[in-house]
Amino acid sequence: MSETTPEAEPRKLAEEARDRVRFEEEALALADQVYRVARRLVSTREEAEDLMQETYARAFRSWQSYQPGTNLRAWLLRILTNLNIDRGRRVQRSPDMQPLEEGDYFLYNKLEEAGDTDEERVDRRLSQDDAVAALSEVPHDFRDVLVLVDIGDFSYADAAQILDIPIGTVMSRLHRGRRILKRELADRTVGSNV
Amino acid sequence: MAVSFEPDPCAKCEEVLQPYLDRELSDAERAEAERHLDGCSYCRKRYRFEAELRRFVRQAVVEEMPPDLKAKLAALRTPL
Repeated sequence: MSETTPEAEPRKLAEEARDRVRFEEEALALADQVYRVARRLVSTREEAEDLMQETYARAFRSWQSYQPGTNLRAWLLRILTNLNIDRGRRVQRSPDMQPLEEGDYFLYNKLEEAGDTDEERVDRRLSQDDAVAALSEVPHDFRDVLVLVDIGDFSYADAAQILDIPIGTVMSRLHRGRRILKRELADRTVGSNV
Repeated sequence: MAVSFEPDPCAKCEEVLQPYLDRELSDAERAEAERHLDGCSYCRKRYRFEAELRRFVRQAVVEEMPPDLKAKLAALRTPL
C-alpha cells in the first residue's frame, strides 16, 4: 500500500482539475467543427443543438475515458453519433436497399444530355437549397458516413471507428450514399425524365 | 500491388473515382488512375466535375454553429 503524505492528496486533486479544465477547453474549441457534422446528421437546427448539449454534457462527465493524444474530434463525434442512434432519431432504420443502377458519372451525364457541358460551373445548375434538400433525402445510414467523410473530413478508418462499423461498410455506404445524393440532385436540376 | 485498368480503363477509372478524391488509393492505384486521366478527356472532365460537385455540396450544406450555443456548452463544464 502506498503511503500518502498530507500534501499528496490536494496535489493530485489539483492536477486532475488542471487536466479536466484542459480537456474541457480543447473540446469546446472543437465545437464549431462538431456542430457542422451534427447539423447534417439531424433534420433541424433545434435537434442539432440538443444533440450538441447532450454530447458535451456526456463528454464533460466522462472526460477521463478520453485517451490524451488521440483524436478528440473523433471521440466527441463517436459520443454524438451514439446518442443520435440511442435517441431514436432514426426514422429510417433500414437502409434503402433498392437497386441503384446509376453509376458515378450519372449526374455529369444527365447535365451533359441536358446541354450543359460546362462541367466546372456546378453552381450555375445547382442551388444551395437543392444541395440541402438532396442530402436530407439520403437515408440515415448512408448519410452518416457521407457527412463524416465529406463535411467532417474524416478518413474511412476514422468514420469506421466513430460509427463502429467495418471499413468495408463505410466504403460501400459512402459509395451508395453519394450515388443517391447525385440522383436526388439530378431530379432537382434536370428532372427525372431527362 | 499493381493495378490494371484493362480491359475497360474508363470503367475502372469510374470505379476508383470516389477513393481517388478521398485520397484513399494506394500510390500504385493513384498513379494508374492519373496515367489514364492524362490521356482520357472523357474521364478527366467527369473527375473535375465530381471534385467541383463535392466542393459545392460541402459549401452549400455547411451551417455554422449559432453563437449562443457555445455559451450553453461552456455552461455544462464542471464547476471548479
